[in-house]
Amino acid sequence: MPRRSRRTLPMAAMTVLLVAGATACNAAAKDDASSDASAGSASFTLVTPDAVGQNEFLKLAVTGVKAAAKAHNGTEKVFESTDAASQQQNVQAAVDAKPDVVVLVGFEFADLVAQQAAAHPKQQFLMIDACTTRAIDNVSCGVFREHEGVFLAGAEAGLLSESGKVGAVDVLDTPVFRRFSDPFAAGAQHVAAKTETGTRFVGGQSPFDDSARAKEQANDLLSKGYDQLMAAAAAGNYGVFEAAKAKGAFAYGVDVNQCPSAPGTVVDNVIKRTDIAVEKGVEQVLGGQTGTTTSYGLKEGGISLTGLEKGVDSSQCVIAEHPDVLKKIEALRDQIVSGELTVDDPAAVG
Amino acid sequence: MFFDSDLLMSALRALTPILLASLGGAICERAGVFNIGLEGMMLMGCFTAVATSWFTGSPWLGVLAAALASAVYSLILAVGAVTLRGDAVVLGIALNLLAVGLTSFLLRTVFGVQGTFDDPSLAGLPLVGGFSPLAYLAWAAVGVAALMLSRHVWGLRLRGVGEAPDAAATLGVSPVRYQYGAVLVSGVLCGLAGAQLALGNVTLFSENMTAGRGWIAVVAVMLGRALPLGVLLAALLFGLSEAAGFRLQGLGLPQQATDAAPYVVTLGALFLTTARRRRRTPSTSPSAGAVS
Repeated sequence: MPRRSRRTLPMAAMTVLLVAGATACNAAAKDDASSDASAGSASFTLVTPDAVGQNEFLKLAVTGVKAAAKAHNGTEKVFESTDAASQQQNVQAAVDAKPDVVVLVGFEFADLVAQQAAAHPKQQFLMIDACTTRAIDNVSCGVFREHEGVFLAGAEAGLLSESGKVGAVDVLDTPVFRRFSDPFAAGAQHVAAKTETGTRFVGGQSPFDDSARAKEQANDLLSKGYDQLMAAAAAGNYGVFEAAKAKGAFAYGVDVNQCPSAPGTVVDNVIKRTDIAVEKGVEQVLGGQTGTTTSYGLKEGGISLTGLEKGVDSSQCVIAEHPDVLKKIEALRDQIVSGELTVDDPAAVG
Repeated sequence: MFFDSDLLMSALRALTPILLASLGGAICERAGVFNIGLEGMMLMGCFTAVATSWFTGSPWLGVLAAALASAVYSLILAVGAVTLRGDAVVLGIALNLLAVGLTSFLLRTVFGVQGTFDDPSLAGLPLVGGFSPLAYLAWAAVGVAALMLSRHVWGLRLRGVGEAPDAAATLGVSPVRYQYGAVLVSGVLCGLAGAQLALGNVTLFSENMTAGRGWIAVVAVMLGRALPLGVLLAALLFGLSEAAGFRLQGLGLPQQATDAAPYVVTLGALFLTTARRRRRTPSTSPSAGAVS
């Protein structure tokens, strides 16, 4: 979620306008999008909200759709968007091509998909990392249980903290964003009961973009002796890393491997395996299970830590120097996977 | 302890970019150009500073380039509002919108990334006594601006142009030249503010990283009645209330409440200053026209 750094309200408003315009055009289009999965070769189209480039989150989505195509002896296409206008065009182009499944990654597509799904009831859509506001028969969703990964990162922090104080710099004080701070505290206290915890929320006029503000909030925590900081502040993460680095403290990133941003400072990252969500989601849709929302956590391999994945030695993450800690984290992960240990979800209803 | 040196340092760090930008705004205000494009000029400064520092390896060249780029950018306002007599408010908003789009576009084309450009080897400004050198420059600029406006012939003429351009013109003072000068100076100061934010406060560029600081600077100009010292006090008030807001979160206040701290303080200060002004005779205070 903190990946969604640069969307501002005007952009959202623009998207809404574009969607409105798009549907007006689509109303005339006939909806005969037929899925002929039975023909043997399946086709998938992935639409990304931004250019894939070096964005690991999106690169993994591409990997996932390629793997799905390979598994089904089919073909895949990737449409990369650059802004709200091209997102709309790409979704339209994807629907026009009538693939078996249109895969979309990111909350940016929620409104677009809702409109298109209504206009083309036979086209199957798979949304990753977000969902439409109401359930739609031909839209399946894959969402993540980030809190499970954050709990493990918190446990790492609890084990590594020398001051016994671990904190988090979060974007906003809402239940969904608290998934990145509350479980961090819970994880630390699970392994070291006496750990003190604290959270600062960036807030302000543009909480996702304000790295200077995030840095000052990290400084406030650091000046109180906190030495392990969860950074869940979107673009502000870089500010948190800078603050931690200057004080010789440690930080934890989200979504992708952020260790190369500040080698020696970033301990580990809570990562989303978009590839797994895409692959499994496509399987479900082709298997006829549509219109459902599936959540991916540690058990499904949809959420993980950089330290628990292959390639940790070349990740530039501090955790690579602490194999003993990783052993304990693996044990904790297994407990969560087996259901022996449950992580409270701050965004849970009720 | 609630008020300690960490809090003060945090407030002073938050203060510097706002102070530089609002000084620029104040000078424009006194010359009769209502400049609300501070945010956009600052953002241009942020990007230019980071790009120049990255390609030359020198943060100082970054600062210089930022000042130049923002000055050039501010020419849009100067030409539009002074020469073509367009609406400065509309132009200012245009400057702000254009800067967001332009810097995002440049970020993509120059660096090939979206959202944020950050690299461990990007050179930032050194710290001198805990602050970036630009912070000292900002404080010095307050004194220089105050002296120039109140004592120097340029300052007197600038104020004359702002208050009665026709009268100034009959005395042989060119309003156009002084207004251009004021806008360009505000461009330079906003460029420095941007450089301070992107190479001082943090060392990176991210889209829309000014995050409303330019608007806070506009409010500081109004609150400080376009007086350099007034602007300094207003900016200090913002810096302190922001830093105190962070700390209040640590005491358990919700983020939504602490977010409101700078605005509550602003409203309170506006209320107090206008009430005091009302009580005095509502006569010809030098900046009354500029503030309204």
